[in-house]
Amino acid sequence: MADITQTASSSLLDRLDDAALASAAPSQIELIRELRIKQKPGWTSRLSPSVAAFVTNKKGMIGVIILLAMILFSILAPMFSEYNPHRRAGKPHVAPGYEHVLGTTRMGKDVYTQVAYGGRISLAVGFGAGIAAAVIGLAIGISAGYFGGRVDDILTFFVNVVLVLPGLPLIIVIASLVDSAGPLVIGIVLALTGWGWPARTIRTQTLSLRTREFVLSAELMGEKKWRIIFKEIFPNMLSFFMGGLVLGTISAILAEAALSFIGLGDPNAVTWGTMLYWAQNNMALQTGAWWEIWPPAVAIMLTGAALVMINFAVDEITNPQLKASRGIGGIKRFLRSRGRSADVF
Amino acid sequence: MLYILRRVAFYLAAFFVAVTLNFFIPRIMPGDPSARIIASFQGRLNEAQIEAIRASYGTTGSMWEQYLSYVGQVMRMDFGISTVQFPEPTSSLLFYGATWTLVLVGIAITFAFLIGTMMGIHAAWNRGGFFDSVFTPINVMLNAFTPAVVALLLFYAFSLQLQWFPLGRAHSTGLSPNWSFEFIGNVLYHATLPVLSILIVSFGGWHLGMRNVMINLLNEDFVILARAKGLSDRRVRYRYVARNAILPQITSLALSVGFLLGGALVTEQVFNYPGLGKFTVTAIESRDYSFIQAQLLLLTMSVLVANFLSDIANVVLDPRLRKG
Repeated sequence: MADITQTASSSLLDRLDDAALASAAPSQIELIRELRIKQKPGWTSRLSPSVAAFVTNKKGMIGVIILLAMILFSILAPMFSEYNPHRRAGKPHVAPGYEHVLGTTRMGKDVYTQVAYGGRISLAVGFGAGIAAAVIGLAIGISAGYFGGRVDDILTFFVNVVLVLPGLPLIIVIASLVDSAGPLVIGIVLALTGWGWPARTIRTQTLSLRTREFVLSAELMGEKKWRIIFKEIFPNMLSFFMGGLVLGTISAILAEAALSFIGLGDPNAVTWGTMLYWAQNNMALQTGAWWEIWPPAVAIMLTGAALVMINFAVDEITNPQLKASRGIGGIKRFLRSRGRSADVF
Repeated sequence: MLYILRRVAFYLAAFFVAVTLNFFIPRIMPGDPSARIIASFQGRLNEAQIEAIRASYGTTGSMWEQYLSYVGQVMRMDFGISTVQFPEPTSSLLFYGATWTLVLVGIAITFAFLIGTMMGIHAAWNRGGFFDSVFTPINVMLNAFTPAVVALLLFYAFSLQLQWFPLGRAHSTGLSPNWSFEFIGNVLYHATLPVLSILIVSFGGWHLGMRNVMINLLNEDFVILARAKGLSDRRVRYRYVARNAILPQITSLALSVGFLLGGALVTEQVFNYPGLGKFTVTAIESRDYSFIQAQLLLLTMSVLVANFLSDIANVVLDPRLRKG
């Protein structure tokens, strides 16, 4: 067992992670702190640097706005609808119009109401599974990185196994054994299969943090281990945790849609995925009822796009080199004026 | 060599974990397959019949005996008899489907990797330029569009409306499989739309991956030295930076195989393509558990083989590994 786990931790991916760490430039936030750059006066100066870095990131904010709009829509919109998403509300395949804003399905259910209600469940499954996977990844990643030794070997072995096991087929096996896999079951299974990547990135980060001065000094001061983990290491993991959460949420929303679409989900539940499933089963496209397909499709695409934008922002904050060079002109000019190299960007 | 041996040891261990999971998942679930089938007969079975059903699903004897006999079956590639296409053995259905899935995923993954990587190189080299600021976000967003939607739209536009492409199947009904140009052309014609829909949702990942790794390399000393030597832009871009940035891409290529096979599942369903995904969906509908379990093992095995191939590719491409 020990030998096998050894191989796992010396895999190529780890070496790449290590290489990335060695060349990691100080982040924008660290630089701002170190050089004591005064931030532009304005409302962002009152925020903590990491929040300010996110708020001033254009892509990230566009993503947040779209995502908030989707969440608000699915929370509030059903209240303005007089129809029940599970009940027949009109004639089959009524085109969008005054009575039915987005038309009706083959079963005569109101599409607008279904998209809004479905959003509640799809988003809940996505975020629930994404958050759970990120939390599991965080716990395992920090433990493996901080405790090292045998604990690291064993945990890394399991992380690597979770990474190579194909997720969707595994979910199919589990979901097919449960009578009808409702959104809750799908969410739980997605959380249990999705923690590989966050665990891996967080472990690598913890490894590098463990030898930094502030952790060493906390250890020398005799702080308890759990306190060091929560007070010293965890705050520095926040952006990686967020990155893992966002990616996990995207893949959970897509996987939920895929599973429901192939008919593994509970067909009576209303989610964006089951809407697509019924649309495909009822030949919505063949009969020209585009309004049965487009609304859930656009909802999934918008949510995915918004989360991708947020992930871009998180990436740029954790690794400022990725940012296109324009936005950091101020810092560059400052560094030049002090005669310091601006090549870190 | 030691490196490769270590990797093989890891893959064997990972496969062992997959087999074990496959064994235990149905047994810890409420109501195993045999219990379900027995229940569906509502007490019309006698003792001997119940015993026979249990035996065919391997749920007789102690847990340990069951496990050993299951591992034995897996080693012999004996996954029982399909209940959908009775009396075909599950394994022959499995390999028939896998061949067509391999055609789809193989073509899609090759093109997605090439297109995405080339775009990523271009975006990283002109970081912050027009191409980078417009296409990087767009390509990655395509990545977040579900395969179901993309496949449905392509199917609607090109198969139903324009009728440029067929409505399903892997090849025309009149043809029998052979290596003639006519047959291969026919297969490619039928595979175009399914491949395209997998391609559209997957090349963005390669774009972003290549771009990010390359940007991190651009400020390395060896790149600055290469430029200082006055090497041509092209040479620095491809022979120095891209050459090094491709290594992590190959590793994630192998890890993405599982994800792509999952995506093919949905695509095959939309285009009625006789691949593994289509068979799996049929198996789910008719509760053919032996097939569902076998597909997981086959897919796990292909992901492991892909990882092994990428390890070998990395050893070939990265001399540092050969010494270590």
